[in-house]
Amino acid sequence: MTRLIPYAGFAALAVLSYLLLAAGKPPAVTGLFLVSGLAVGSLYALGGIGLVVLYRATGVLNLASGAIGAAAVMCAWQLQQWAVPGWLTWIAAILIGVALSLLYGRLLAPRLAWRDPVVKAVATLGFALVILGLTAFAWEDDVRKFSLPTDAMGLKLLGMRVTVTRLIVVGAAVAMVAAIWLYLERTRTGLQMRALADDRGVSAMIGVRILRVEGIAWGLAGAIAGFTGLMFGDLIRLDPVIITFMVIPSAAAAICGRLDNLGLVLAGGLAIGVAESLLTLSPVLKSVRPTAPFVIAALVLMLMQRNARLLFAKD
Amino acid sequence: MPVPSSRHEVNSNPRSKVIDCRAARGAAGPSCGAATGSPATGAPIKVGGIHGNAAPGDFSSATDAAAAYFDCVNANGGIHGRPVEYLVENDQWNPELAAQAAAKLIGDEGVVALVGNGSFVEMSVNANRYAEAGVMAMAAACAVSECFETPNIVSTNQGPLPSSVGAAMYAVEELGATSVACIATAIPSSGNWSCGAVEDYMASKGLSGSSVLMNPSAPDANSSLLEAMASGADTILVNLPAGLGIAILGAAEEQDLGSAYTWISSTPLYDASVPGALGSYWDGKLYVSAELTPLDGEGPDNLNWKAVMDAFAEDDDPRDTFSQAGYLAARYFTEALLEMPADALGDRAAVTQAVRAISGKTSDIACGPFYVGDADRHMPNHAGVMVVLKDGGFETVRDCFEYEGPYFAPILETEAALGLR
Repeated sequence: MTRLIPYAGFAALAVLSYLLLAAGKPPAVTGLFLVSGLAVGSLYALGGIGLVVLYRATGVLNLASGAIGAAAVMCAWQLQQWAVPGWLTWIAAILIGVALSLLYGRLLAPRLAWRDPVVKAVATLGFALVILGLTAFAWEDDVRKFSLPTDAMGLKLLGMRVTVTRLIVVGAAVAMVAAIWLYLERTRTGLQMRALADDRGVSAMIGVRILRVEGIAWGLAGAIAGFTGLMFGDLIRLDPVIITFMVIPSAAAAICGRLDNLGLVLAGGLAIGVAESLLTLSPVLKSVRPTAPFVIAALVLMLMQRNARLLFAKD
Repeated sequence: MPVPSSRHEVNSNPRSKVIDCRAARGAAGPSCGAATGSPATGAPIKVGGIHGNAAPGDFSSATDAAAAYFDCVNANGGIHGRPVEYLVENDQWNPELAAQAAAKLIGDEGVVALVGNGSFVEMSVNANRYAEAGVMAMAAACAVSECFETPNIVSTNQGPLPSSVGAAMYAVEELGATSVACIATAIPSSGNWSCGAVEDYMASKGLSGSSVLMNPSAPDANSSLLEAMASGADTILVNLPAGLGIAILGAAEEQDLGSAYTWISSTPLYDASVPGALGSYWDGKLYVSAELTPLDGEGPDNLNWKAVMDAFAEDDDPRDTFSQAGYLAARYFTEALLEMPADALGDRAAVTQAVRAISGKTSDIACGPFYVGDADRHMPNHAGVMVVLKDGGFETVRDCFEYEGPYFAPILETEAALGLR
């Protein structure tokens, strides 16, 4: 029962935001902001899930996941310009995500395996800046748009049209939570990943093939980053800088799940999105909207770390 | 198709007298400066230029065009036989780098003026420095209030304020707008400044206006769109850099709002790549204020701009509005220096005086005359053209018209004092 308390906390945050910020305004208008917030929150959650999957398996908070996603969707856009069929460009984006992630995961990450988690995270930030630099070099600033066929289909929810692409994001976030939980909890490789995250040295001594298992984790995280990049490029905007730094609110969502619990990442991401969107309704508070993910993540850290293990520290 | 208001047509506009007196320029080869056909060989005249080129935007096309024009001048006798040495710096949208660039150009290099500047940052940072150093900046890609409300900066482009007011004015007069929500970035001296003038214009007509200021790095365009909708507006003015504008319009398309509101925009969306990025959904629905005449115009000066770019610029240098504005700034500057005594060309104070003396310069690229004058603010370009997105390009729906509104009252007084109206 106590495991449900954090979920209730995030739900309460969303409800409280609605009651405080939407009071006195027409429900037809506030409903739009609520649905919009859920849509953006699901994107944060999707990014956060990718971060947590890798962190649970390797102990690395991959701050380059946004940059990998940005490079992936820019490549997909470029292929579209060259008249490559859409489905091939999407597959290519995911494969590019896998390739970039594996590049770091196999070449650089093992050399930092014994360093503190914060050092490992900062190293991925360096990788992010390298990818961002190369992406900016390859594609100069210009007006571009990336769209998917599912953008044209949608349904009305509380007066707001929700496209099938956004439903795919929500569905993918939920499906990933379930599938990855099953994978980590019920498969031998999943068990090995959890063992690696807990203690790399002991895992090696009991015969876990570290590089192989870590490679699978990095590849999986890269695929999620590639897919997330496609969604960000379509639903946010096709701007490598914006997509690269979407990793920040995604990390806030990941922290809501204490870099561990995928269900809480989803709940936290949605709560952040709703609170952030509803802040727009306040003339006083709308200017602090961009800080919402960090304020919420900081509150989560303060409330949930009491008498529990520390984030970014070995147990 | 809306019918243009004759009150604002070129031929009924008192400023149009000068528009009709266009400089006779051939369309075949570029014509620049003294047009001697032989290269300049004297001691170079140092001229500076600062642009912003880094994410999230590239404002270098104005300095690219100015550089092309100066190369053309240098190949055609220069200025009294002296070539222009054009030194360009990139502020990378960083205030510290912007200040360093100005210090380098003005202090170390000793430039006599700056031409073709384009940035969101540079003018706000350096306006006071230019005034203190007594140097004029003839900018071409300005977007903040300091470009238009300080004594030593004058720009050939309009910036977001006139462009937005022009779009709102067209929407009121031709599209029946009664309430306009202006969406802009929350960049100091830009969004609040330009959308505030739109609100004042709407109030002056007994109508309503509101501003929605969005954080340029905020990923969620939907909330700003919803905020504009929640204001009760019937018209939404997209007053944003092109990338952000596309994001807002993409969110609107997602909601199928193309026909539910009147959609207007300031100049950033008047870009050749925009129709392709937006797609056919916005065909006939998006009206854009173009602060200069159309890029494909057949006027002699517009053809000369293209010829200069083809002959002296790189193939991949953009041919956009800022490029037109950069060309104009360089052309007006060159013509001012050609009228100076040859022995005063290296004297910054004399060059500043010559630039301030510019008056009544005309081109078919701009709707009105360009002037500088000895004033504490400069906004010579406050008339433009409206276009609509059509068939993968743009179609002119109203030719040159002069903008109205409380903001322009002191500018019109200055023009009257200078004998321009």
